[in-house]
Amino acid sequence: MTADTASSADVAALAAPRPSLRRRIERAAPFLPGLTMLTLLFVIPMGIMLLFSFWRTNSNFDLVREWNLNNYARFFNQPTYIRTFIKTLVMASAVTAAGLAISLPFTYFLVRYVSRRFQRAVLLAVIVPFWTSYLLRVYAWQAILGEKGALNQFLMATGVIQQPSTLFVYNDLAVFVVLIYVYFPFAALALYAALEKFDFTQLNAAQDLGARPDQAFRHILLPQIRPGIITACIFVFIPILGEFLTPTLVGGASGSLIANLIVNFTRQGQYPEGAALAIVIAVFVTVLLIIFRRSLRVEDVVARG
Amino acid sequence: MAKRTSALETMPVSPLAQQTRGCLSLVAGATLVFLYLPIVFLVLFSFEQADTPGFPITGLTLHWYEKMLTDSAIHSALFNSVIVAVIVAILATTIGTMAAFPLVRGGIRFPGTARILFTLPIMIPGVLIGLGLLVFITLLGIKLGLHTVIAGHLVFTTPFVVLIVAARLQGFDRRLEWAAADLGASNRQTLRHIVLPLIAPAIVAGALLSVTLSIDEFVVTFFTIGPQLTLPLFIITQIKFGVTPEVNALATVILVVTLTVFGVGSFLLGTGRRFRRREPE
Repeated sequence: MTADTASSADVAALAAPRPSLRRRIERAAPFLPGLTMLTLLFVIPMGIMLLFSFWRTNSNFDLVREWNLNNYARFFNQPTYIRTFIKTLVMASAVTAAGLAISLPFTYFLVRYVSRRFQRAVLLAVIVPFWTSYLLRVYAWQAILGEKGALNQFLMATGVIQQPSTLFVYNDLAVFVVLIYVYFPFAALALYAALEKFDFTQLNAAQDLGARPDQAFRHILLPQIRPGIITACIFVFIPILGEFLTPTLVGGASGSLIANLIVNFTRQGQYPEGAALAIVIAVFVTVLLIIFRRSLRVEDVVARG
Repeated sequence: MAKRTSALETMPVSPLAQQTRGCLSLVAGATLVFLYLPIVFLVLFSFEQADTPGFPITGLTLHWYEKMLTDSAIHSALFNSVIVAVIVAILATTIGTMAAFPLVRGGIRFPGTARILFTLPIMIPGVLIGLGLLVFITLLGIKLGLHTVIAGHLVFTTPFVVLIVAARLQGFDRRLEWAAADLGASNRQTLRHIVLPLIAPAIVAGALLSVTLSIDEFVVTFFTIGPQLTLPLFIITQIKFGVTPEVNALATVILVVTLTVFGVGSFLLGTGRRFRRREPE
């Protein structure tokens, strides 16, 4: 036995004898309130929602516990639903791509060229809007895009347009821009955490060995920050699947996403229909999380001080 | 870090490095402007004299702040929000801190599953959490109200507390506990006099985070609330039915309060770093 394993064996010896039942209960007990709470308020409700999605309501919107697949069949048969769902996926992908395209150069610059002390300040500047109210961050865009917003004011002042335009808000483009804004900090935090651990001299080494800058970037940097990139994508893509406030506030009539349909069903008391759509999203989210679970670094995004 | 920078300076780099760096700094600057511009205009419009927020600015006034202070609808919404936030913070911090111990130190079966269970509510869109609770509550025949909002907020605030406290526990020097035990302290005494004081900054930060998350939460509240209004719900009814600069004034106050709470929280997390374990066990 080397000295190294001996010392770790010393530590293990403290825990080695199988603890008594009482001791084991004592150690696990603090976990019980949390487990009970999440089971009762999260796991069971998700299960109930699944049940609801196989039930139906009668014409009075009373729940009828009759097993059927109609809610799902309707989803796949009605072009509006499918179209909204595909549109949601396209929107989520586009925002994720744009978010990466902005946050990668941003964090790269931050980590590579900004001094350590200043980095913290800039990072804080990115996190701060992230912790302020999500509703207010969306509302704030009315001040830019709205009829009386800054963009109109600017364009009129520069003489590009004569009358305030209503074209900037209540459409898909507005939803796209605001979603990038809302979810940018997630992407930036995830990428920052990954880039922070990267040793940039490797890029110089690669170039010394004859790699072009783009080759060094692709083959040296990208593979090493892959978990960060995946975390960033997940943290932008998944919330957009459940996004309904941004479309409501800046999307107008045409800007609805899939979660808007869920909200509409819920408002009308059609819980089973809403539940079926929610389950479709839940399945999508779960599959994504399972595929990428090894690369996902939740702590990097949410537990930074 | 200093070593790395000097290596970069002396090493020959790509001839395009200078330009790349210039472009990147432009992108970074534009991004920061992008992040703050909407907030700047939101705040600016709260001082607008006219009845609707926006350009052209007709004059600056504090009128909307005064109006906000005497608006009874805002008072009751604020009252509801604070009640919910305080109860949520107390429960989430207690439950979350307790759960963090076995998660970090072992003692539970299936620790991997437990960790996933405590991460999911952070990742899952609020719509699903909200609708799930709503159908569950409907099935049980419970009336919707602030109590159901509290239940909903607990689902996503507790995991945040768990993550923050667990991160601090992970870096905790267990030898301090062993030393206390050597000196004759009971488990309970060690917990009270050694462990809790040292992880206190993380616990307080978790509590403050729960408060801000709860006060700002819109989606889950939207599904689980009864006839009452919380601040975000009040704001959205205002936005939908005729917005005045009063909403901007309220938003500005909320921003300032959230930032203050957030600042205190991250300061506390910073002080906690001093007690990090210096070498692996």
